[in-house]
Amino acid sequence: MTHHHGAGAGGRLLATAVVLAAVAAYLAGAARLRGRGDAWPRHRDLSFAAGGALIAVAADGTLPGGPFTVHMLQHLLAGMAAPVLLVPARPLTLALRALRPGGPPRRALLAAARSAPARWLTFPPVAAVLDMGGLWLMYRTPLLAAAHRHPALHALLHVHIVAAGLLFTFAVCQLDPVRHRRGLPLRAVTLLLAGAAHAALAKSLYAAPPPGTAYGLSDLRTAARLMYYGGDLVELALAAVLAASWYARAARAAGRPIRTGPPPPSQAGPRRLRPEGAGGEGG
Amino acid sequence: MGAPRRSMAAAALIGIAVMAAVDEIVFHQILGWHHFYDRSTPAIGLLTDGLLHTAELLGLVAGFAWWADLRRRGMLAGGHAWAGVFLGAGGFQLFDGIVDHKLLRLHQIRYDVPDLLPYDLAWNAAALLLLGIGAALTVRANRR
Repeated sequence: MTHHHGAGAGGRLLATAVVLAAVAAYLAGAARLRGRGDAWPRHRDLSFAAGGALIAVAADGTLPGGPFTVHMLQHLLAGMAAPVLLVPARPLTLALRALRPGGPPRRALLAAARSAPARWLTFPPVAAVLDMGGLWLMYRTPLLAAAHRHPALHALLHVHIVAAGLLFTFAVCQLDPVRHRRGLPLRAVTLLLAGAAHAALAKSLYAAPPPGTAYGLSDLRTAARLMYYGGDLVELALAAVLAASWYARAARAAGRPIRTGPPPPSQAGPRRLRPEGAGGEGG
Repeated sequence: MGAPRRSMAAAALIGIAVMAAVDEIVFHQILGWHHFYDRSTPAIGLLTDGLLHTAELLGLVAGFAWWADLRRRGMLAGGHAWAGVFLGAGGFQLFDGIVDHKLLRLHQIRYDVPDLLPYDLAWNAAALLLLGIGAALTVRANRR
């Protein structure tokens, strides 16, 4: 069955609890905004909750297929599909608007969002290397075989897949306020190269299993195809996010009335006030 | 770049992606002629395949966004756009037939046949036909 996947009953419970707490906090924040008369589109609530549900389903681990296919489904659901639903819901924007101005939680969040590590981690090529590099290490070195022997390492791999997926999606979409905004060409090229690495890795798995593992041939091939075509769907979704923001921006540049969401709050970060690439002051 | 050229380029991106999708859906999935992975594919072929495959996906989205932008500005030249679709589709087909199948040897058109040549000829002839239609439509659009 699926005894290796998911990080044991304790890990599953913890993952589900974290996801539930995050979704509850998101819905509470959105309710606070609406309660005081601010607009916050309902579809974002739905998107965030759906993303959380995908992670919970992946963590539960009772998915159909052989062991490697299940592993791959988990990686697709929690590490790729869930971030594409969570990140466009703009959780950071919501938190900055829902938290009390001047309060310690908001100040801490803002400081973290503007910190040097955050700046580096959200530099799209760095986020892509963390995400795709992690996958290459997992599937092309004996790391996955070692994780089968050490549950703690296995849990860490799962956490890394989700965290790196969220980071990559966040860096490429760039919908939430960050201090250093990156141009569309850099983000599009990053998406292209990351997608290429993902596709090549998927095809290489079709031919050769991760070192030290003994998955059945049909399990391996199903998983490889799943990774390849699943990656396509996620890339299409990410490209659609980039295209939609370009389309909206082009309309703004043409001076048309557009805007579906609320105006950015005054303190949520220097969105669009700063020319792109104007980073680097103070170090 | 003027409106006709832009319309053509945006539509060509869509044409490339549509042909790539036809290749993926008809020849890989429905007919099962193309193989997902060919044991004679060199590593560089695998990387190039990943790059081209992803570029086609992004090209589809970019092409539609560009097309929609031209349309809302009233700058879409219909005749040139159709020419672009055919030129993109034919260009992709020819590229796939020559570079992917023959130079990179990603996969062949079909495996269980004694002679591949008729398949390769038909494939590339279809490409030239599409390119020919695209060229004719371009000439017609330019005359108007």
